[in-house]
Amino acid sequence: MLEFFRRNRIILTSGFLLLFSLLLVSTSARSRQIRDPFAGILLEGLRPLQVTVTDTLSGLAAVWTNYIDLVGVRAENEALHRRIAELEQNAGRLAELEESNQRLNELLGFRSSLEGQTQPAQVSGRDPGTLFQSLTINKGERDGIRKGFAVLSPAGVVGQVVASSPHAARVLLITDHNSGIDAIVERSRARGIVAGALADGCVMKYLKRGEDVQVGDWVSTSGLDGIFPKGILIGEVTSVSRNHRGLLQMAEIRPSVPLERLEEVLVVAPTARRYEPEDGQP
Amino acid sequence: MRTFLFFLAAAAIALVLQCSVCPWLPLGGSIPDLMLIICVYLGLHQHTVGGALGAFFLGYAQDSFSGSTLGLNAFAMSLVFVVVYLTSRRLWVENTISTVVLVFLASVIKTLVVILLLAVFLTTTGVWTSTARHLLIEAVVAAALSPAIFALLAQSRRVAEAEDEE
Repeated sequence: MLEFFRRNRIILTSGFLLLFSLLLVSTSARSRQIRDPFAGILLEGLRPLQVTVTDTLSGLAAVWTNYIDLVGVRAENEALHRRIAELEQNAGRLAELEESNQRLNELLGFRSSLEGQTQPAQVSGRDPGTLFQSLTINKGERDGIRKGFAVLSPAGVVGQVVASSPHAARVLLITDHNSGIDAIVERSRARGIVAGALADGCVMKYLKRGEDVQVGDWVSTSGLDGIFPKGILIGEVTSVSRNHRGLLQMAEIRPSVPLERLEEVLVVAPTARRYEPEDGQP
Repeated sequence: MRTFLFFLAAAAIALVLQCSVCPWLPLGGSIPDLMLIICVYLGLHQHTVGGALGAFFLGYAQDSFSGSTLGLNAFAMSLVFVVVYLTSRRLWVENTISTVVLVFLASVIKTLVVILLLAVFLTTTGVWTSTARHLLIEAVVAAALSPAIFALLAQSRRVAEAEDEE
């Protein structure tokens, strides 16, 4: 008998424990009031270990989360930088388009104020030196442009075509010393020739000494040279010099067209005329 | 004595890990039963009354710590111990694959036994859904972890017993 118990002690112990467990379940299920004598000991005994593990885990999780956040923030930062660069590029392009659109609108408006053959063109190059003032446009003989055609912008006179090829033309600016335009002072109708003075702009020569020319007067084309239509603005008088002994006086003119920033121009045939404003305004 | 303390420490660590670390694992809410792996180890290698008592107390500690109905896990663990003990007496289950399969089956058995007890003594509301969601994952993860844990237990036990002999 004792041998049986000894040989099967594990099975018997387990059987007893199984029965005891069932009793525990049964009792515990029937009454939740049952008091667990080990619960407090277990909780208290494992608390330091659990606190240590939990704290370590939380620390590791925090480090990991911070690392991931940092990596995420860095990636996000780079993406945002790229996005900002793209947006700045777009904004620049839009501003450029807006300005271009405005200029072209002005050119279109100006074009409609002229009667005759006109051809819009874009500036494609400038004179490589400083002693000559010219630029190249992207339209040429295929577009009907010939030597001697006037080149204008909504702000006023630019120059005239001095050479042309099938797809391009060279424009002599009004500031070049080879340029000469028959002009009048709008206020007093005093007549003279506007010639180029390179970096200093233009000068109005051959003004009679007695003519009324003042600083601030506007000078425009007279239309008598057969190249430029009448009434196109050339520039503003910035100073007047009178030679005491001579019969003439000279006025320095600041061109109304910002020649160094010019991008679009209108090429006008010599036969073109400007519509006279109905209300008499220039 | 050192063997007893060794299993006590192993159980305590397993319980704490199960409560603190396992819920963090990305297993969709499934928590692998580390205590069960120790129970299977007891069933395979601790063929003594102490082993049976150890299995019971592993389950009891789970019940007590989780604040659930006392005896549920104690019963299931004791049953798992008996099953593993009887199996190991009749079959050679010392290799890794046998161990993995045994832990997998033990996990399934334990869960089903707990459900059965719940159904008999308490309720079945929500139990099946939860079981269906977690049973296989928990069993697979426990089985996957078992070779490493078994190796760790064996190594630590050898050290403990060597110090006992000294």
